[in-house]
This record gives sequence, C-alpha cells and structure tokens, in this order.
Amino acid sequence: MVTNFMHRLNIDDRGLASRRAFFEITDEDLARLATHRGLAESHSGEVVEKLYHLLLGHPESRAFFPDDSSVRRVKQLQHTYFLGLFEGRCDLAYVENRLRVGAAHERIGLAPQWYIGAYGRYLRLIFDHLFGELGAAEAQAAVQSATKLVLFDMSLAIDTYIAANLDTVARHQAAIREMSTPVIKVHQGVLLLPLIGTVDSHRAEQIMETLLMRVVEEQARAVIVDIAGVPLVDTMVADHLLKTTEAVRLLGAQTILTGISAQIARTIVQLGVDISAMHTRARLADGIVLALSLLGREITAKAP
Amino acid sequence: MSDQVLSRDDLPVTTEGDVVTVRRRAQAVAQARGLGTFAVAAVTTAASELARNTLTHGRGGDASVEAVARDGRQGVRLTFRDQGPGIADLSRALAGGFSTARSLGLGLSGSRRLVDEFDIDTTPGKGTVVTVIKWARF
Amino acid sequence: MARGSIPILRVGDNLLVTVQTDLHDAVAEAFQEDLLAAIEKTGAAGLLIDVTGLDIVDSYVARVLADTAKMARLMGTDTVIVGIRPEVAATLVRMGYTMSGVRTALNVDDGLAMLPARR
Repeated sequence: MVTNFMHRLNIDDRGLASRRAFFEITDEDLARLATHRGLAESHSGEVVEKLYHLLLGHPESRAFFPDDSSVRRVKQLQHTYFLGLFEGRCDLAYVENRLRVGAAHERIGLAPQWYIGAYGRYLRLIFDHLFGELGAAEAQAAVQSATKLVLFDMSLAIDTYIAANLDTVARHQAAIREMSTPVIKVHQGVLLLPLIGTVDSHRAEQIMETLLMRVVEEQARAVIVDIAGVPLVDTMVADHLLKTTEAVRLLGAQTILTGISAQIARTIVQLGVDISAMHTRARLADGIVLALSLLGREITAKAP
Repeated sequence: MSDQVLSRDDLPVTTEGDVVTVRRRAQAVAQARGLGTFAVAAVTTAASELARNTLTHGRGGDASVEAVARDGRQGVRLTFRDQGPGIADLSRALAGGFSTARSLGLGLSGSRRLVDEFDIDTTPGKGTVVTVIKWARF
Repeated sequence: MARGSIPILRVGDNLLVTVQTDLHDAVAEAFQEDLLAAIEKTGAAGLLIDVTGLDIVDSYVARVLADTAKMARLMGTDTVIVGIRPEVAATLVRMGYTMSGVRTALNVDDGLAMLPARR
C-alpha cells in the first residue's frame, strides 16, 4: 500500500531529491534539528498532550478517536512522529514512514482540514520551546529548519490523501461500470446486453470492451443488444452500436439489436444511419428466437 | 504542461525492425504504468502506425517513449520526429480515408482516435513531430 | 525471421496457419507469398488463419490479412480468420478500419465448420 504510494508520488531517489530541493531542505537543516533532539525528547510528552487537547476539544475531530485505548495508541504514534523530526534524516525510509500518515487519514476519513490545523499547532508548540530555550539566532535558524520539514511532511500527507482518494473514486467507478453493463448469458452461445439509461462516449467504450471480453470468454456466437431502455438514440449512439457490431463480428459472432421502438426507427432513418449490417428486431423475444436460429436451434411447443 | 516524466527511452526509427522495437517498448511502458488491456493495445497500435509513418512518409527519424504522470494519473507519451517532406494538407490527413506513401491516412487519423491527446507539428519541407498521450483510466 | 517460418498445416481439404510472431513488413510479405504458393500447390478449398497469438494488429497487418483473403478468393479458396482478440477488434474498429468482406470465427472448430468441403 505505502510502496504503491511511493511509486504514485514518484518518490524514488531522484523524485525525493527534487521534492527536498523545492522545500529547500538542506543537510544543514537536518543536522541542526538533530542537535536539538535532546530538547525534543524532554518536551515530547507535553507537545503530544497539547496537540491532542486541540484534536479532542472539537467534536468533529474528536469523533475519529472512539475510545481511550485508541487515543493512547495514536499518542504513542505521535510521539514517534514528533521525534522523527529530530532524527537528522530525510531519506526514503523517512518518507515511507510519513506516507503512512496520509494513507491512514484517508482510510478513516479524516479530511485535510483537521490535520493541517494540527500541523499548525505543532509548529507553534515547537517554536515556543525553541525560542524559550535557545539563543535568538539559533532559535531562528532551528525554527526555519523545523518549518521546512513539517511543511514537507504536510505535502506528503496531502498528496497521499489525494492519491488514496482517487483510488477510492476509481473503485467506485469500476463498481458502477460493472453494474451498468450487465452481460447475461441467456443460452449456450447467446449473450444479452440490456442497455438502460443514457449512453455517452465513455460508457459506449466500456460497453464495447465488456461485451467483447464476454463474447470470447463464453465463446458466444450471438449477442443481443436490447436498447429499449435507452432514452435517446442519436448519431453518436448509433455510431457506437455500429462499431460494437463490427468489433463483435471481427471476433466471429453476430449482433442482434432489439428494443427498437417506432420512435428509434424513425430517428435512425432520419439520421441516415446505415444499419443494414445489423440484425434488428422490435422485441427482445424475437431477438432471442433469431439468436437461437443463428445457432441452428429453435424453441418449439412441447408435444401434447 | 505540468507532466512529470518518470522515464524516457529514445529510439531510432530507421528500419522495419525499429518499428517493432518502438511498439514493444510502448507496450512495456503502458503495461508498467497500469493501463488496461484495451488501452495497452490502443497505444501500442498507435505507436506502430506512427512509427511506420515516420519511417515511410518521414523517411526515417526517431521516437521517444516516456512514462508520464499528471495529477496522479499515469500515462505513456510517445513522440515521433522526422525531417521528411512534412504534410501539406494536414486537415485532410487527419480526416483519414486517403493514403499517400502507404497508410499515412489511416496512420494519423486512426492513431488520433486511439489516444487521449494528440498533437502534430508539421512544416512542409522541414519535417513532422507527432506527440500522443494515453492515460490509464480510472 | 526467415521465409517459410510460419508452418502451414493441411486439415482435410483446408489449410490451417497459425500466426504467432510480429508480422512486420518482410515477414508479412513472406507470409502472404507462402500462403498463396501453398494454395496453388494444394488447391485447398479453404484457408484458416489463426491470429490468437497476435496481440497487436495495426492497419498494415490488417491489410495484409484482408488482402491475402481476397487473393485466396480469386484463386477459389475461402478464407476465415479466427481468434481475433477483443482488444485487437476494439482497436481496429476505433481506428476506423473495417475488414469488410473478411469472414471471421471465434475458434478453429467454428472456422472449419464455415468452410465447405470441396465438392
């Protein structure tokens, strides 16, 4: 999962170097932060407590921490996270660790608003301690280094959040696509695709791909496409139906178009679309009879 | 354009064998970027058509096969360059259905229908650069 | 790839050829010549070209296949192309390439059934 995000965000040696360069994180920044590790350790408990004071003080963000044990667990993680800023490194292992944060936030549905606010609190807490205990010049330098690294972390968290979100959308779209192209096997060698709803270009392409795969999987010789549920048949839809028919033919199967109402027939003729290459029937039932006859079969009444 | 280039291969297009090398490279990159079977076939075929155009119409040239990313989307970008005669009637070539120098007509118009982005820069007497992108679909 | 490297099998009155390599120009031309020579020699009733192994069919290869079928027809031999893959069919159609006049079948058995035995 995290490895996948490393790849998606293009974080390899080169990608990391470029990202670090943009945030102007130098080795001196990292070394400077490392010299203040002792200071960080002595205050880490307090920083984490104050951070959770903020997060638990708002009902919306509080909702993400269902019970005391989960609060204890995330506080422990936060502890490690905080000290990570003062490790003096910003390498692939560091980034991999940071990416887990964004992915975890997306998984539980914690939107950027909440953790950006939390990062803000973090920075103020760090500033307070640095200015409180170091000389002005050193504090100034340390604050700059810490700001760079925290904002770098924030960029990783948000980029991961967006990528994970896109994955979620993709999964939903795939599910919807599957539902919108239900290819039914009505008989050995006969497939039925009942089209319902608007057919746009994107969906038409999907329909063709799904249908072609199924024809080969099922070794179907006849495909019935029923368009009774398509509200509008225009030139684009007719063109896609013709393309699908030709592609199905290339595989070695035939297409039968059914569900052609008087209005659709009128439209097709008025548009001047040549559908002479297709078998057509008004009713689905007639399409099934035709499909079976193409396969050398027929439906007959039982002997009395 | 803010496309991130993740990898790039520059290949010559001067022989029939080069056409095969270019399309196999495009296919490998498309598969590695997570494009689906249909998208891989589309971009590989476009690579073949365009490389053949570079070879026969453009009298040879070179090609780049790049793995690219834009806003988290993964894709393949192909660029074909030649210093050939260029295309005098571009709109007619893009409309397809006519053919000079073998399959130029279908090569250009057909590949355009197979990819998500298509860009052509041609100057009669100077040469032609064609750039196409195919994205992994959500 | 050398000439004659695509094996041509005899199945009854028909010829069966399985294409598995990349058909670039030299190979495609040799392929066409070999097939026509075999038809001339055997007087086969039908020709089955199995393209299941082809993951890419560009307009050039599609035209070689379609032309071969037309040439075979002129010699009195029916051609059926079998095993076109879904992604190949979709790509050809999207390009606007129509292999009109070329007969197709899902598999070799269906293809053979479409070819009438001679006399």
